[in-house]
Amino acid sequence: MLRRHIIAAVMAAFPSLALAQAQPPAPPAWAQGRPAEMATSPLAPHAPRLTVTPPDRIPVSSLRVPEGFQVELWAHGLPGARVMVRGPNGTIFVGTRGIGRVYAVRDTGAERQVSTLLQGLTQPSGLAMRDGSLYVSAINRMLRIDNVEQNLANPQPVDMTAAFNLPDAPHHGWTHIQFGPDGRLYVPRGVPCNICDTDGERYALIASFNPDGSDRRIEARGVRNSVGFDFHPTTGQLWFSNHARDWAGNDMPNDTLHVNIRRGEHHGFPWCHGGFQDPAVNGRLCSEFPPPAMLLGPHVAPIGTHFYTGTAFPERYRNALFVALRGSWNRPRLSGFEVIVVRDEGGRLVKEPFLTGLRDDANQRFTGRPAGLLTMPDGALLISDEENGAIYRVTARR
Amino acid sequence: MPLRVKLAAAVLAAAFSLPAAAQDAARGAAVAEERACAACHGPGGVSPVPLMPSLAGQQPHFLTLQLILFREGLRQVPAMAEPARGLTDQQIEDIAAYFAAYPSAPKPDRGARDEALAARGAALSVQRHCNVCHLPSYAGRAQVPRINHQREDFLVHTLAEYRDNLRVGTDTQMNAVMFGMSNDDIRAIAHYLAHR
Repeated sequence: MLRRHIIAAVMAAFPSLALAQAQPPAPPAWAQGRPAEMATSPLAPHAPRLTVTPPDRIPVSSLRVPEGFQVELWAHGLPGARVMVRGPNGTIFVGTRGIGRVYAVRDTGAERQVSTLLQGLTQPSGLAMRDGSLYVSAINRMLRIDNVEQNLANPQPVDMTAAFNLPDAPHHGWTHIQFGPDGRLYVPRGVPCNICDTDGERYALIASFNPDGSDRRIEARGVRNSVGFDFHPTTGQLWFSNHARDWAGNDMPNDTLHVNIRRGEHHGFPWCHGGFQDPAVNGRLCSEFPPPAMLLGPHVAPIGTHFYTGTAFPERYRNALFVALRGSWNRPRLSGFEVIVVRDEGGRLVKEPFLTGLRDDANQRFTGRPAGLLTMPDGALLISDEENGAIYRVTARR
Repeated sequence: MPLRVKLAAAVLAAAFSLPAAAQDAARGAAVAEERACAACHGPGGVSPVPLMPSLAGQQPHFLTLQLILFREGLRQVPAMAEPARGLTDQQIEDIAAYFAAYPSAPKPDRGARDEALAARGAALSVQRHCNVCHLPSYAGRAQVPRINHQREDFLVHTLAEYRDNLRVGTDTQMNAVMFGMSNDDIRAIAHYLAHR
C-alpha cells in the first residue's frame, strides 16, 4: 500500500518530456575554453564533502606551522565551512557553498557550540557584519539579518536582493562580501564562464554599494573572479586575490594578488591574466594594465585574503596578508591546499608558506582545503577547512 | 537462496568484518529498512518500479551527496522528501555503504536489446565523452554515478531533466553536457546504458 502511494505521488510529480530545440551543446562554464586536444581530459572540480567529518578523522596532526606557532582544532561539525565573520558579542558566523548553510559558532570557553543559522540557500559563500546585522550573499541573493546575535534561534532575514540588483548567471556567483573602511559593502561579481566576452558593467568586476543596496559604484574592472579581498589596515587600499582562467596550461596563468590603486581600475580580463597574454583573446595587451602585486601560483585557488590585524604574532606578521589557497583541480599535479603569508620586506612583497600538511605530493591527494581566515580579538588566527568542515586556531607560542 | 542474494550477503558480510568504519553497511541496512527504501528501489537495490532508480552497486559518495541534497531541500523530489527527512550524516553514509555493497545488476525484465539503437547510443556516449567522467565501464567514480545497468526509463527521465535544467547536481556538468540533446538521442543513450 505504501509503495503504491509513493509510486502514484512520483508519477504525478514527473512532467512529461518536453521536446528540446536543436541547439549546439554548450560546455559547463568551468569547462568552457577547453581546447579540442583536452576534450577527453578527466580533470574536473573535486567532489565536495558535505557530511560531518568526525574529529578523529580531521588531519590536525599533519598540519604544519612555522617555528614559534602552534595549531589546534577549534571547531568541527560544520560541513563545507568557508568564510568566517565575528559578531560584536563573539559569535562566529560561517558561510558555505554546496550544502547551502550558514552556521553560528558560540565559544563557551570550554567548547564551541555549532548551530545552523540558515539552510537551503544556494551557495551562501559571502558574509559581512555591520552594526550587529549579518549580511549574507548567496547566488544571486542578498539577505540581512538584524540583531543576528539576539536571534540565533529564530533569524528573520530581510531580502535585499532587489535593492542590490545582482546579475542572474549562477556561475561564479558565489561571492565574498565585506564592508570597506568607507562603510560601503564591496561585492565582486565573477564572469559567468571560464573565458568569455561579457558585459563589463555587470560581470568581471568588484562593485561597492551603500549598505541598503543603493549607489552602486564599480571599484575594480577586468577582475575574472575574486573570492577574497581585504582592506589594508593602514592605507585602506583594496587588496584582492583573483582566479585566473583554466585550460590554458598546467603552469599558466598564475592566480594573482592585486592592489586597486585607483577607483574603477582595469586589471586585464579577458585579455591578460596577471601578465599572461591570453592567446585565445585578441584586442588589448598586458602592458596596458597594472601588473599584479604578486603571482600566487597556477590554479592554486586563493579564497580567504586577510590582513592580520592582531598583535599576538611576532612583529614581522604585523599587517601581513594571509591567503588561503583552496587548491587546484585544473592541473594533473596538485597545487595549493595551504595557507601562505605575504609580507612587505623593505618595500618588496615576499610570500612564505604558513599552514601546510594538507597536500600529499607523493600520493597526489589532499586531506583538507583551507578557505576562510579571521583574526580573533586575542590575536589568534582562525583558518576554516572546507573539506573537513573544521576550523583550526593558530597561536604564537609564548 | 538465489545467487544474487547470496552474493549480496557475502559482500555485506565482508563489509561487516571491517573494523568500525565511518560508513557501516549493517547499520545502513537497518535505516533502509526503517525508511522503506526497498519499496521503490527494490530488494537488493534493483528497482522493479517505473522511474525509480536502481541503487545496487552505486557509488557511495554519489549516494551520500544526493541524500544530503534531498535532506537539505536543495534537490526537490517529492518521493524523497519524507524518506530523507531528518537523516543524520552518519545514517546517510551508512545507507550509501549499504546500497553500494550490493552487486550492480540490471533489471531482470529489461527487455530485448535493440542492436541498432544500442549502437547509436554507444557512439553518442563516446561523442559526448560520457565515458570520461563515468569511466569506460560506466561504473562511475566518487560523485559521478554508475549509469550502466540503470533502468532505461529512469535514464531517459533523468537525462531530460538535466537537459531542461529541472535537476541540479553538486556541479553544473550534466546540465551543460545535455544542453540541446534531442529526445531520440536521449533514448538511444539510455537504451545503450541500460543494456550494458
